[in-house]
Amino acid sequence: MKYLTIDITTKVTALSLAQDGNLVGEGFLHTGKTHSERLIPMLDQLLNAAAWQLEELDFIGVVRGPGSFTGIRIGIATAQGLAQVLNIPLVGMTSLDALAWAGWGRSENIAVILDARKGEWYYACYRYEQTMVCIDGPMAIRPEELISKLKRNEEQVFFVGDAAKGAKQYLKENLGVQAVIPPEYHYLPRGAYAACEAWKQWLKAKDNPDIAVGTVLPFYIRLSEAEVNYRKKLSKMKHNKEKEI
Amino acid sequence: MAGTKDIVILGIETSCDETSAAVLVNGKELKSHIISSQIETHRKYGGVVPEIASREHCLHIKNVVEQALTQAEVDFIDLSAIAVTYGPGLVGSLLVGVAAAKAMAYAAGIPLLGINHLEGHVYANFLEHPNLEFPILCLLASGGHTNLILFKGHLDYEVLGKTRDDAAGEAFDKIARALGLGYPGGPYIQKAAATGDPKAFNLPRAMLEAESLDFSFSGLKSAVLNTLNIARMKGEHVDKNDLAASFQEAVVDVLVAKTKRALLKLPQVKTLALAGGVAANSLLREALAKELEGGDIRFVYPSLKLCTDNGAMIAMAGYYHFIKGNYASWKLNAVPGLNL
Repeated sequence: MKYLTIDITTKVTALSLAQDGNLVGEGFLHTGKTHSERLIPMLDQLLNAAAWQLEELDFIGVVRGPGSFTGIRIGIATAQGLAQVLNIPLVGMTSLDALAWAGWGRSENIAVILDARKGEWYYACYRYEQTMVCIDGPMAIRPEELISKLKRNEEQVFFVGDAAKGAKQYLKENLGVQAVIPPEYHYLPRGAYAACEAWKQWLKAKDNPDIAVGTVLPFYIRLSEAEVNYRKKLSKMKHNKEKEI
Repeated sequence: MAGTKDIVILGIETSCDETSAAVLVNGKELKSHIISSQIETHRKYGGVVPEIASREHCLHIKNVVEQALTQAEVDFIDLSAIAVTYGPGLVGSLLVGVAAAKAMAYAAGIPLLGINHLEGHVYANFLEHPNLEFPILCLLASGGHTNLILFKGHLDYEVLGKTRDDAAGEAFDKIARALGLGYPGGPYIQKAAATGDPKAFNLPRAMLEAESLDFSFSGLKSAVLNTLNIARMKGEHVDKNDLAASFQEAVVDVLVAKTKRALLKLPQVKTLALAGGVAANSLLREALAKELEGGDIRFVYPSLKLCTDNGAMIAMAGYYHFIKGNYASWKLNAVPGLNL
């Protein structure tokens, strides 16, 4: 089974070509250019370099969030567009589940933290048990909340995800030896990680007729600001009404 | 199924709050035209919310394209090229269409055509009036733009006048909101104005310098808002229908006067085309028709469905870009502030 994965939910453009769960080719770019400009050119280069034809693909795996809202959508629109023309199935995966593979074989708990802006991280926690098992999350959480949560259970934590960069000092100061932080090339999204997760999802879903439809739903975790404000307004109105009664 | 020699263009439009796709054969036959509108989703917010618009596009783009192909009885293999709006518009919305179109064109092995949304609005006219003769003067009035454009030939044009502040459609939306009429503003103002007195309020009409073909609507907008504020402070009642009618007439007067001014300067022009969302305004259509009555100038405008944002007009403009070989690169990005 040959497949392509697309992960552009952070500032990294990460593509992979893989076969039966094994990495065949990988593209990684962490530059200032937009995903929109470099995604298809990079895919084209990768296919050429691997001497693969697009028509050989059996399915496409796409990371559907959480992360950059725009990145989520460009990734899904691109994956859907390719799958639609090639008439092949699409499997979706979360950015957190994909990045958890950076903790393969680790004995610590693996915490994936992604920059969610507004003073929060997108977070989920995993354990390696021959495969990656999610034990907490996914959620958006404030760093101090996560620290106290992790302190309480006292277990060692291996941190991955783009938020690890800015938080390195903070994590060391607050968690001490409890926190293990690998180098940046290890904890940023990689095609290799998505290739592992896509294969896991494919084995789980290949017999499910739903995936043949070729639609993947974005996973934002957060509502848009306008929706949040609208809900606040509604609950305030409801609250005032109740007070009147 | 289209013949092998046919030029079959799939047009995709996602610049604001409509997800649309259409299939156009040989620049003439519109085989399908799907528009998925988000108006109902945005209504409760009183206007288009960019993040919500982008989310909606992402959910609908695949089905909209699928429906357009199915209805046209073509498959990707039958397409000659895919045309997509890359600006101007909301960046997040544009990016969904651009990403989808790029992926589809790349996978299908056919050219990608990057289309300026404003060109698209003008080309909506060619869908229903295929044999328009150049040179053509076009009055383009939408939520983001107000332009007088001289078309000397296909895709060969010169912008003669533009708005210096608010666009005409923007003024409609802002005044509709101030009057509490709802979104989108154009149709609501027109409806309220139908039973109002256009002479009830004396509003300014900015004509600018004697020779200028530029527009300005911010003074008019401020005058309407001031009228409302003063009345509110004095506790006086303002007839919304009268104010809407007076406002609408002021906008139309300016648009008509500037168009007339341009036509006088350009005696070689024998065709006037209206384009953009404001082209749907019936007072504007009537006023221009009346102005040109008895003359030798042909006056055309798109049907109501083609005045809104739509994929058919993008396919139409795409057809001429395809013929000229104006293919976009795979690096095509959204350009939210794109101009003519």
